[in-house]
Order: sequence, then C-alpha cells, then structure tokens
Amino acid sequence: MSDRTATAPTYEVTLAPWRRERGGSVRLYLGFVRLAFLKFLAYRLRYYTGVISYTIFVAGNAYLYRALFASRAEAGSVEIGGFTLAEMITYIAVAWIGRSFTFNNIDRTLSHQVQQGEIAMQLIKPFHVQTVMMFEAIGEAAFRLLMFTVPIMVVVVPLFGIHGPPDPALYGWTVLSFTLALIMNSQLNFLVGCLAFYLKNITGVIRAKHISMDFLSGVLVPFTFFPEWFQTVVAWLPFQGLSFVPVTIYLGKRTGPDLAEALIVQAAWAVGMFLVGRWLWNRAVRQVTLQGG
Amino acid sequence: MSPLPPVILAPGPQRSRPERVRRQLGIVGAYFAQFLKMRLAYRVDFLVDLGANLFAIGVQLTTLTVLFSKVDALMGWSFEQVLFIYGFSLLPLGMFNVISINLYRFAEHYIADGNLDRVLVRPINPLAQVLSESFNVSGLNEIILGTGIMIFAAGRLDLQPDLLDALVFAVVVPSAAVIYVGVFLGLTAVSFWHEDRMGLSPPVYNVIRFARYPLTIYGRWVQIFLTFVLPFAWVAYMPATWFVDGPGVQRWALLTPLVALLVTSLAYAIWRAGLRRYASTGS
Repeated sequence: MSDRTATAPTYEVTLAPWRRERGGSVRLYLGFVRLAFLKFLAYRLRYYTGVISYTIFVAGNAYLYRALFASRAEAGSVEIGGFTLAEMITYIAVAWIGRSFTFNNIDRTLSHQVQQGEIAMQLIKPFHVQTVMMFEAIGEAAFRLLMFTVPIMVVVVPLFGIHGPPDPALYGWTVLSFTLALIMNSQLNFLVGCLAFYLKNITGVIRAKHISMDFLSGVLVPFTFFPEWFQTVVAWLPFQGLSFVPVTIYLGKRTGPDLAEALIVQAAWAVGMFLVGRWLWNRAVRQVTLQGG
Repeated sequence: MSPLPPVILAPGPQRSRPERVRRQLGIVGAYFAQFLKMRLAYRVDFLVDLGANLFAIGVQLTTLTVLFSKVDALMGWSFEQVLFIYGFSLLPLGMFNVISINLYRFAEHYIADGNLDRVLVRPINPLAQVLSESFNVSGLNEIILGTGIMIFAAGRLDLQPDLLDALVFAVVVPSAAVIYVGVFLGLTAVSFWHEDRMGLSPPVYNVIRFARYPLTIYGRWVQIFLTFVLPFAWVAYMPATWFVDGPGVQRWALLTPLVALLVTSLAYAIWRAGLRRYASTGS
C-alpha cells in the first residue's frame, strides 16, 4: 500500500535495455514454469475424474492381458513377447502412470491462440513463444506429477500389485527417461500446433496424433508383440521414446550400454525436434494472417 | 391516467399430436441440413476427421490381430468371433457418435457458456434441439466400416442369418445406440448440479473401448458392474451373442431393448429434473 500525496508525483520512465542482464532470460522463463503450475492448480478438481479414467485404462488392459496369458498358459507357455504376466501388468501400469506425467495440450492451446487471434499478443512480447511453451509444459508437468501422477500411483500400484524395478538405481533412470519423454512430447505437440498457421482448424489432426501416439509409443501394445519388420520401423521413429523406452528401462530390459544409448537417442530426438520446431515457427509466423482483433 | 391495456399473447396454432411430432421432426431435419452446409464449408477438416476415424479403426484392428497372433483363442473366443463383436460394436457406437457430440460438450458449451438459454426460449423440445444442433458425420464411417468387418467375420464364421436374425438385428442395434444416448444423457444431466466444464463423461467414455471384448474375459465384479450398473455390456457383447456363441454366454440379447428403455427413462427423468432447477449462468 502506498500513500497518496497531494501533489502529482513525477515518474522517470526508463525502458529496459533490449538485452536482458545476465540470467534475466532464465528468470523470465522460470517465471512461466511457476505461472503454469499455478494456472493448472486452479483446475485441480478436474483431475479427479482423470484418476478414474487412468485407473480404468490400466484395469481394462490388465484384464485383457490376463486373459491373453491365461489362454496361452494352457499351451504351457508363460512368456509372451518377452514379458511374463507380472511384467506385462507392470508395463501397462508404468506406461499409463508415465503418460499422466508427460501428457500436455500444447498443440490445442497453440491452435486455439491462432484461431482466436490471441497469438498476436504473444508475438509482440519480448520472448520466444516456443521457449515459453516449453517452460509452461514443465510447470504443467510439475503440477501433473503432484496432483495427478502421484494420486494415480497411489490407486494403481496397490490395486494391481505393481513391483519395483529389479534394481533400485533404475528408478532414477526411469524418471530421467520420462523427463526426456516429457520434453520430446512437448516439442512434438508444438510442431503439431504450428500446423494451425497453415490449416486453421487442426482438431482432426490432433485426434490423429493422439491415436498414432498411443499406438506408436507402445502404450497400448508393447512392440515386442509385433513382427520383426514393425519393430525395426518404430526403432527409427521418435514415438517409442515417449513410453516404450522409459517403461522397458523400468522393467530392467535395458542395461549398461543399451540404457545409455536409449537415453542419448531420446535426448537427440528432443533437441532435433526443438530445432525443427524453431525453424517451422519462424517460417509460420511470417505468413500469419489474423482476423479482426 | 388510463390503465395499460392488458397484454394478450396470441395462442399458438392448435396442432394435433401427429402434427406436432411431424413438425418437430421437420425442424430437426432442417437443423441437420443446416449443420451439413456448415460442415462442408470446411472441407479439409471434414476429410481429416474422416481420415482420423479410419485410422483409429485401423489401429484397433491391428491391435486385435497382434494379440491374436499370440494365442489361438482368447478365453475360448476365436479371432473371428471377437472380430464379429468388434464390427458389431461399431454400428451402435457410430449411430451414437453421429448425434452425441453435443452431449459430450454440454457442460461447457450449453451450461458454462450459457447457450442453453437460447435453446430454452424456443418452442421445441430442448433435448431434441441440443441433440440436433451438431452432428458428427464421421460416425457414418464407423457404421459403414463396422458393417464391413461384421460381414467379413460372419463369412469366416459361416453364419447363415435367417429372417428372424435380421429382425433381431434391426431391433438390437438401434437399442444399443439408445443405451449409449441414455448413459451419456444421464451423465450430462448431472452437469445441472455438478458444475464443471468437463463434466463426468470422459472417464465413462473411456470404458467404451473395453466393452467390445467378450464380457467373459473380465473378472466377476467387472462383469456384474458392466451388466447392471454401467450397462456397457449391452452396447455390443450382449446383443451380439444372439449371432455368435462363445463359452459362458447368457443369451440375454433380446433384453437389449428393455435395458435401452430403462436407461433412457431414468436419464430423461434426471434431465427433466435438471432442466427445472436450471438457473442460467447469469452473465
């Protein structure tokens, strides 16, 4: 609270220099992490139904795979696609728990801003929209971790008797891998969102993306169930880094050099998609047409 | 100062009941035509949406094929039988999807954004208006593909449908679609009490994908839940068992219309009660 004086005060207006001081950018972008966290905190009630949704996904798939393994056990086999039933249930649970953390709607947010013309306000501000969205995604993920992922774990882990990884060190590598998955996912969503500059309405594209991502990331069926050629194809795509890679790390299927390679490939995709995103954004904004406003 | 003349509202034209029904259907038809014109103005969206739909069905078929490449039968159900139930499930789902889109976004579009006020001042049944203000034409896709998949599976199973089968089919498929409408209408109507933009539909919507497998692969409690509480056993599996015979089936297919009647009556009662207490957003 400031006191009002009788005489009008004089102000000296100093415009901030164009270059920020050392560490200024970091502080600016970290501010967006905090803001995103607080924004989602306001909608936390919505995530209660989400916890039920994710539990249903895990439960439905767990029953399906239980039936599959039971049908196979009659023939005397206990392993399908390199997984035992216990591993398979863990696979599903960890995949969906991880998805609850890495998921975001950057593509929808961006296309909404382009359609509504709000993007104009973003363009005149002294930051790069792509970087801001990446940091907002981190803030959102921090919120999701606390208010969504942890509650899902509390429900799913005891309900399905999920085991820890064979080696406790794998907890750390799994978290790192899911963090890389989060960055990959936000870059990928940013790329999809950029299409709104060209197509205007991208709801259909976003739907197709959700379907292909759930399929090609391995959330629905692990790749080891598929024929050899399919496994070769997905190994060259980024999507396996979103789920299959972190989950197989958790299960101890990747150790030593395999583990290092998997993490490096994830990081490389994250950086690569960031660069493509920057290039696409810089092209896309040049031809942006905004209605009204 | 003379008193103000009384305001007399002209009475609406007196219509007989069939006339009223015909009029309402005509208006719904006009809404649909209007919607199609609007939708076709964005041709690219329309095509992308169709593509996404085809893609989703492709992914589901691939999943089914991959799972069955590991086993000869799933708890005694053959690939063709499960495929038949899957194809069958797409018909009611497609019918429901064509008209459901507004139920799905009811909490946001009609209650939070206040669009229900506009609906309520018009002299047509509010539910008919809400259902017919927007159609998801790509649901037709599911109906066509589902029919194709079902016929393919029926051929492999060597099913020879007779007239009675055709009659049952003509009754149970729309009934199953009505069950979907009933379930989601009931959930939607809860938005009148529980104000949240997302509503309660999303988690329930996610159960649908598990309703197209034979019910007997699930545990006992899940079976009871899906049969008597959230009646998704009746949208595909139960009616389809008239045509395919798997291990442990109940042969309750003919009860499907009854379930549809029960579910929709209950849902419509909740909807009516909700409408009565609706007080608009006031903004």
